[in-house]
Amino acid sequence: MISLVRAAFSAFAVSMRLRVISPWAYLNWLLFPTIFTAIGLFVLSRPGATTTQLAYGVLGGGLIGYWGVAYLDGGNGIQDERWNGTLEQIFAVPTPLWVIVLGKACGSLLFGILSFLPTVAFAYFGFHALLPGVDAARLAISIGVLSFTFLTISITLTPLFALWRWAFSMLNGFELGVYVLCGFMFPVTVLAPWAQVISGSLSPTWATRAIYAATTNEGPHDFALWWLAAILISLAYLVGALFLYQMVERRARVSGELALA
Amino acid sequence: MQTAPAIEITGLRKKYVNKRGTFRRTKVENVALAGIDLAIRPGELFGLLGPNGAGKTTTTKILTTLLLPDSGQARVLGLDVVKQTSAVRSRIGFVFGGDRGLYWRLSGLNNLRYFAELYRIPPDVSKRRIGELLERLGLAGREHDKVEVYSRGMKQRLHLARGLLNDPEVLFLDEPTIGLDPVGARELRVLVRELADAGKTIFLTTHYMFEADSICDRIAVIKKGAIVAEGTPSSIKRVVENQGVVEFEVVGMPADRLAGLRGLAGVSSVTVVDQELAQVVTVHCTRPAEVMTQLGVILEGLTLRKVSSREPTLEDAYVQLIGEST
Amino acid sequence: MRRLQSEVGVFARSTYFQYVALFQWATVQGYIAYKVLLPVTQILFFVELGTYATGRQNALYFALGNALQLTANAGIFGVIATVANERQFGTLPILLASPANRLVTFLSRAVVNVIDGIATVIVGLAVAAILFGLDLQHGNLLLLGLCVLVISFTTAGLGLLFGSIGLIMRDAIIIANVVYYLLLVVCGINFPVSRLPEVIQLVSYGLPLTRGVEAAREAAAGASFSHISGLLAGEVVVGVLYALAGYALFRLLEAYARRGGLQEAY
Repeated sequence: MISLVRAAFSAFAVSMRLRVISPWAYLNWLLFPTIFTAIGLFVLSRPGATTTQLAYGVLGGGLIGYWGVAYLDGGNGIQDERWNGTLEQIFAVPTPLWVIVLGKACGSLLFGILSFLPTVAFAYFGFHALLPGVDAARLAISIGVLSFTFLTISITLTPLFALWRWAFSMLNGFELGVYVLCGFMFPVTVLAPWAQVISGSLSPTWATRAIYAATTNEGPHDFALWWLAAILISLAYLVGALFLYQMVERRARVSGELALA
Repeated sequence: MQTAPAIEITGLRKKYVNKRGTFRRTKVENVALAGIDLAIRPGELFGLLGPNGAGKTTTTKILTTLLLPDSGQARVLGLDVVKQTSAVRSRIGFVFGGDRGLYWRLSGLNNLRYFAELYRIPPDVSKRRIGELLERLGLAGREHDKVEVYSRGMKQRLHLARGLLNDPEVLFLDEPTIGLDPVGARELRVLVRELADAGKTIFLTTHYMFEADSICDRIAVIKKGAIVAEGTPSSIKRVVENQGVVEFEVVGMPADRLAGLRGLAGVSSVTVVDQELAQVVTVHCTRPAEVMTQLGVILEGLTLRKVSSREPTLEDAYVQLIGEST
Repeated sequence: MRRLQSEVGVFARSTYFQYVALFQWATVQGYIAYKVLLPVTQILFFVELGTYATGRQNALYFALGNALQLTANAGIFGVIATVANERQFGTLPILLASPANRLVTFLSRAVVNVIDGIATVIVGLAVAAILFGLDLQHGNLLLLGLCVLVISFTTAGLGLLFGSIGLIMRDAIIIANVVYYLLLVVCGINFPVSRLPEVIQLVSYGLPLTRGVEAAREAAAGASFSHISGLLAGEVVVGVLYALAGYALFRLLEAYARRGGLQEAY
């Protein structure tokens, strides 16, 4: 057991080491979120804008950055391992793949959450925009729940990326669609009803909703319900992940797909 | 008493199915292993020799749990590689040729530390062992450099160090000297021989005949997924024992003349290699003297040069087994 | 005359090879991901953001701006991919050593991407029109089409500069990514340029897209050619300047490479 924890920590440490020296990591946590914050605030902070709209401008870029690093870096990480030829090697060690992925995903989360620093600072210094009413305790829990949803998604998606390169391309192309469906920069209530159904099945949607409710003093405050929804959906993803990891193990060993073709 | 084999393969088969096309998918089947049997004793340095695409890597990957066979059995240290996966993984090491499979942007030391953790080696043990391996493989002093500045030879030795981290009882080396310069390749062969002498079972694949000849205790030759010969290097040479080789140069070799040469009694293979303006023809046969006399008849009118007859070498045996004749 | 014929031939062949090279990375899934999903979701995101902030009636503003900005996707990334291919497959030295007209081979890199860019705008606008019920009945569609054509060329001009930079720097793709997203901020795609600080407005008008998008918005509102000809002329000048800068850099690098200084380019 201890050796598994150490293996996970080692995967975490290596993912951090590789990230610190990768220019892409800085784009993903620093530059892109700031650009999105700038656009968001220019669009949302017009005269007559509501405080809720302003809050979406302040936090939206950070949420986008956090998500971007959490899953994108994870996905890129797997592609890099494939190019490096190390994917096959980490597959053939006595440590289960999910332990290694868990370690890496924790590295992504730690880097991703940094996105809130440049974005919130930019909102304050560039637009003098602040969050209207912060409920610190609930905000902290909501961010914790959001992190859990990102972690489970990252763990669930990694085996897909390991098996099918195109799965990563697809999600990459759909990147901004995720921002729409999870309500990172505007509430999902503005979407068409059918789109809201999809939103509801995504765990980050509920955690995001809780985060905005904890920073605006507005609307209903069903925090417990939102947190529960986010966690339950995440757990459902993990059940799916269990199946996916078994499939990766089997598929990869039948076709040898982990080696770079 | 006979000891149990370290590696035992019976009736191993594997085919790859590739799907081609996007809309109209067609399946292309590619037989990689057509049922092979092998038994390797503990402490043996065993070489699997064959041309590219013969099934060497497929065999190695099945034995290292990376690939599942379609049918047949493979046991390493008495453990089933299909079912007892994690038990096998912790007791074997593997090194694939080429410089991929390392984190280039990390130092050599960090690469080893990371894999030591993934192999779940206790910290005190891994610290001592990494130090020993760096020393032994000539990487001490360069362990803090990033792998990207290492030479090919250093990368390959780092690979070997990684493969030895868990002090494996069986080590798999898939074309370990590929891409190395002659000096680096020789250094690596010396290291591999030393490891075998220290008691490790080593399964080595290569397409260099001389490599197998110089270090292996025993060799199997694989061709199109089937074992065509097995034994010590000298026993394999006996395949061509009663044979001789006739070689000559000719300018322009018409197809009908070639067929005539092949049709001669006792001729087992004819190889033609283009060399600038002329072709070098190698004839393997049981009665070289007879072939020499027939040459003038069959190749009448053509200019022959450097006609000679010689004893067969291991390379001839290999060529004969693999049948790389035109 | 013969000379001209051969130049046209070189241009056509070169364009064809660029086309093949550009899309050889693309599997069907890759094509769907980057040529359909990405443009459509970008438009969706910004239209939803914009209408959330300003009301449903402004959907066209955001849809049009982002659809036009997407030409930069084809222009910048397309040209960089072309150059990256040339490097990867080692065809660049052959290109440099060939007697073909430099300007012709250089410009042919952009042509495919111009066509690709126009296709992206059409797909993007069509999807937005269906989802948000865009009303272009009062617009001057012919003129809007002209704006799309012009912008596709000018963003490809910017791409040509990056293509040349891509010869020196392996990580040019990173800079291209940054520029691509910065265009969303500074070129009046999602909000008027006038809201930016004045210093940044100078940058805005020094870039392609800004004037073109302004012209396209006017055309969509029914303006006549004479009304927007000034803006379009300005857009063309900016695009040509970037293409020329890219060409100058390309020739400079070529001369430098021949003296043996630029191993990286190969």
